[in-house]
Amino acid sequence: MTNVILGRFLQAFLLLLVMSLIGFIGIHSAGNPVYNIVNVETASAEDIREATIALGLDQPLWVQYVRFLENVGTGNFGTSYIYHLPAFGLLLSKLPATFELAFLAMLPAAPIGTGLGLLAGRHPGSILDGLILRSSVFALSIPSFWLSMMLILLGAIFTGWFPSGGRGETLSFLGQNWSFLTLDGLRHLALPVLALAIPNIALIARLARSGTVEVERLDFTRFCRAKGLSPSRILFRHTLPNISIPIVTIVGLQFGGMLAFAVVVESIFAWPGIGKLLIDSIQLLDRPVVMATLTFVSAVFVLLNALVDITYSILDPRVRVSV
Amino acid sequence: MGKKLRMGMFAAAAALGLHVASVLPSTAQELRVATSYKLLTLDPHYAVLNENIALLSHMYERLLYQDEALDLKPGLATSWKRLSETQWEFKLRENVRFQDGSAFSAEDVVYTIRRIQGFLKPPSGGFQAYVKSIKSVAVSGSLTVVIETEGSVPTLPLQLSNIFIMHHEAAGFRTTEDLNSGALANGTGPYKFDSWQSGETLKLTRNEDYWGGKPSWSEVTFRIIESPAARVAALVAQDVDLADFIPARDVEGVKKRGLKVESVSAARSNFLQFDLGREELPEVTDKDGNPIPNPFRDVRVRRALAMATDRQFLADKILLGYGTAAAQFFPNGLPGTSPKLVPEPPDYEKAKALLAEAGFPNGFNLSLAGSSGRYPGDGETLQAIAQNWARAGVGVKPVAVPFSVFETNRAGGKYAVWYAGCSGEAVDICLNAVVASPDKARGTGALNYGNYRNQAFDDVLAKARTIEVGPERNAAIAQAAELVMADQPVISLYHFHHISAYGGKVASYTMHPRGWTTAMQAVPSDK
Repeated sequence: MTNVILGRFLQAFLLLLVMSLIGFIGIHSAGNPVYNIVNVETASAEDIREATIALGLDQPLWVQYVRFLENVGTGNFGTSYIYHLPAFGLLLSKLPATFELAFLAMLPAAPIGTGLGLLAGRHPGSILDGLILRSSVFALSIPSFWLSMMLILLGAIFTGWFPSGGRGETLSFLGQNWSFLTLDGLRHLALPVLALAIPNIALIARLARSGTVEVERLDFTRFCRAKGLSPSRILFRHTLPNISIPIVTIVGLQFGGMLAFAVVVESIFAWPGIGKLLIDSIQLLDRPVVMATLTFVSAVFVLLNALVDITYSILDPRVRVSV
Repeated sequence: MGKKLRMGMFAAAAALGLHVASVLPSTAQELRVATSYKLLTLDPHYAVLNENIALLSHMYERLLYQDEALDLKPGLATSWKRLSETQWEFKLRENVRFQDGSAFSAEDVVYTIRRIQGFLKPPSGGFQAYVKSIKSVAVSGSLTVVIETEGSVPTLPLQLSNIFIMHHEAAGFRTTEDLNSGALANGTGPYKFDSWQSGETLKLTRNEDYWGGKPSWSEVTFRIIESPAARVAALVAQDVDLADFIPARDVEGVKKRGLKVESVSAARSNFLQFDLGREELPEVTDKDGNPIPNPFRDVRVRRALAMATDRQFLADKILLGYGTAAAQFFPNGLPGTSPKLVPEPPDYEKAKALLAEAGFPNGFNLSLAGSSGRYPGDGETLQAIAQNWARAGVGVKPVAVPFSVFETNRAGGKYAVWYAGCSGEAVDICLNAVVASPDKARGTGALNYGNYRNQAFDDVLAKARTIEVGPERNAAIAQAAELVMADQPVISLYHFHHISAYGGKVASYTMHPRGWTTAMQAVPSDK
């Protein structure tokens, strides 16, 4: 067991290192961020050179990387080139916005998706099954930017029920600002939450459906039926636990994905979260922020994977034995 | 399902017994603005970027400011006069108070200039250029300063119109980090700092004690929305009352929804710049792909290419009318522009003949580089020009890349001819930066990346720039522009228009050619 955990840590560490190297080289080769900081329509070559030196960008790339690693070792991701604020602090200030968005999207998506999948899978080939299958294909294939814009069009512009973007009123709780604590904030949350939840419902429903179809064919389900258990008891007490492993995996991964890469939805709804911070920072070549965000995202994924594994062992005794 | 979800969430919030703030209907005097300007810092002296200047000008003021015709108007200084060749006297406004209640005095001017000159270090920068020529600032009486310059600087007032005055601190200079926390924002401006979330919002409240009378809006909220489509959506959905940088293609739709649109030709231009410094240029070849000597050194080639550029098409079709075809750096009519410099319609046959005369009867091939997404219509412009020039026999490969990539490559000498821009507080600044010979000591040619050199023009421009601000100076600068543009060192393309749109809460909105977005430009309606 200790070996497994140790191995996990080593893996995670190597992953973070490789990721930081790729991120570092990638953002470096994209261009010089100085051009986003000085006004190139007035600055002289001298100004640009001085700013480059001040940011340490005149040094060879490997020197910059070693410096970066040294700083990260002391918990310092550097100062944002653009906002002159500590990069990690900037990241943390955007975390609540993303977290509440991802959480509120997954909260209904997991049960609704699973429920729809169970319903569809119980009677494969039925009208309900066909309906759920088809709408899930549709929901999965529409690009999220289009879905987001349609939601804005319907929910904000035509009906005026919801605002088109932004976070609205926030309330301070645990030292951070949260939108879900205010009515106005919830109104602002509704559309982006929907935009994130819809594809997830579809994905989870499809997964649950195929699992259900498979499990319902197995001997133990037949045995349950022969024993005279009610269909709903079979479904919830016996089928559900047996299909839950892939669902838990996908819920975990999708949740991580929403924390990190809800870029499109966050940009369109002007939702100031991590995804928007990442894409803005990449566009502005704000390396400290990009690196802090990427490291954070990788760490979250490693952590979520570990959590998923632990959940497996609770749900499925076979996994427990092998760990 | 959406409704259910929404109800569910409301119920959840209510059930948790949380404090649920009611949705305040925006009061008539609250102005909500969607801006593309992301405020980068609360330090008013950190970087000369419109991103900062427009929003910070609510809190901080300048000694003088530029009005919509780019003329200087009194701000914190009521009058100014030149005492001698190198001495200027500025009389300061009486009864002005900073937002913390302390009185505005000459000490604040001294503090501000010293902070920029000596305290701020790179990567902050840009403002230094405006105070570089200042040798000393002397206080003479509490409301008079005398500024001594290094040599004659006739444009000192114009330069000072860029400088935000900070309150002097006995404890020493404020650092950028201190100011970024927001608590220390203390200017004389019409609006007070309330809160700032980088990349999200800036909230301001009315400065009740403002010297210029009670400001129109009780609260101003800037929402930073960089995506143009999202900005338009926020305006159309009435989440905001005013939005800047409306894409030209959205103007019709915005108007149809009963919103008003204002636009102004920007005090700037975009142009094509040639590399004239090198013997051979990357990707400039004859039609068979063999490298050729730098063709742009021949003025006939430059003229032919200008002749083959349909600027009216760019303004009408690429910018959808929200652009003015250009033949000089600032729109005609602004101080220092020449009425004689007007764009000519393209003449492809003449261009072809001129190219043949220059030794290229079959034309040649080149890559035309530029940014995409930085300026309105930049990427499409490259493609349109490629088609234009093809008609004169010049094969063009348009290369549009993100701005910082473009700048990195340009600085690395990877381009032969490229799309660039210039803006500033006066047209001679662009002339001096883009087409005067590069000379660090004289401060000329900072943006002359193509290394164009024209001694006769350098002399005429330098002389013009020593003349007192006024009609005589403007005429001399216009003459210098005529002289240099005849040599076609760059091909001016267009002055794009700044476009803003607003809803019912705003009665009128005055556009500024410098492209600023402020609450001061918006007049509230009575409703």
